[in-house]
Amino acid sequence: MKEPRDTLQTACRDFEEDLVLHYYGDGSEAERNRVEAHLKECAPCRVFLEDLRKLLPQMAKTNEMPQSFWDNYYRETVEKLAAQEGRRYWWRNLFAPMRAWMLPAFGTAAVAVFAVALVVSKGHWHLPLSQTQERIPQEILADTNQLEFFEAMDMLESLSKLEPLDGTKVETGNSHG
Amino acid sequence: MNQTAQQDLRDEEIVALCQKGQSEVFEVLVRKYMEKAFRIAFDFTHDVEEAKDLSQEAFLRAFSRIKQFDGRSSFYTWFYRLVVNICLDHTRRKGRVIWERLERETEHGTEPMEIADASSLPDQEAMAGEAKRRADRTLEAMPNKQRTVFLLRNHQGLSIPDIAKVMKTTEGTVRVYLHRAVAALRQSLVEFV
Repeated sequence: MKEPRDTLQTACRDFEEDLVLHYYGDGSEAERNRVEAHLKECAPCRVFLEDLRKLLPQMAKTNEMPQSFWDNYYRETVEKLAAQEGRRYWWRNLFAPMRAWMLPAFGTAAVAVFAVALVVSKGHWHLPLSQTQERIPQEILADTNQLEFFEAMDMLESLSKLEPLDGTKVETGNSHG
Repeated sequence: MNQTAQQDLRDEEIVALCQKGQSEVFEVLVRKYMEKAFRIAFDFTHDVEEAKDLSQEAFLRAFSRIKQFDGRSSFYTWFYRLVVNICLDHTRRKGRVIWERLERETEHGTEPMEIADASSLPDQEAMAGEAKRRADRTLEAMPNKQRTVFLLRNHQGLSIPDIAKVMKTTEGTVRVYLHRAVAALRQSLVEFV
């Protein structure tokens, strides 16, 4: 095993960023050629690149999850999606029992009920007029009756005033005695 | 449409079908991207349950916003952006917790990272474990964008142009972030090389 290094050997400042890209295989063809030419004559930059090759692939390593984990993951995600879809279109659930056949069925039934009602009533459709009277409060009806009584009394008073002018005596119940 | 036919569809075709209301086809995208989404989330959280929740959240968000997807970028860069944003939000919220967990792992040990010529010898295992913890700490200490670029390039294998699209930035900026991240990691791990 190699002895660990305690000091950091730096790469050429102008090349460090290009060396990172070179490690990942990024950069243009010209950039790659330029870096490769430089690496042939620069030991610190070779060490830098070698360090990246040792460190970075190890960092990217992840623990493999078992297939059962992915099966559960997929099932859970699909369930969550369905639940979200359900919440989003909750109003559809209200009409969910309303299948396609229900609308024409209910329509036909409504027409049938209407037809039967028409036949039974023989076409005579009356509005219940008495209802309008019933709706008048009793107090107002009583006042109306009293008004008629007072009007009759006024008329009798007027008759007694007219008698002298006419010169005739109106026979009353007393004349018969 | 049967399952085989669905799996042969390109991402854009699946998205178009979802936008027309055939939402069940979205499950093909789940099957296709679940491992990648989970691994990104795991790189951010180092926790299986959290990674599962976050990556599933990304699928739910993608599904609910599928009609907003305009096809200007590929589906996977759009989806990666969702995953990364969810993970970054989570990291911001739980920043302190992650540090505490790393401290706990330092005390109790964790699965070692194989560095250099590590074999089964106990001192070498301990050294590899320490290297792993050091690498995790260095990554956690990085600015979010720097860490994200590194994880997408090194762990996920996304190209620099794709990372630029995911992060809505320029390729030049991505290169700078990547260089800084790699240099910082090398510096922190020099004694383990």
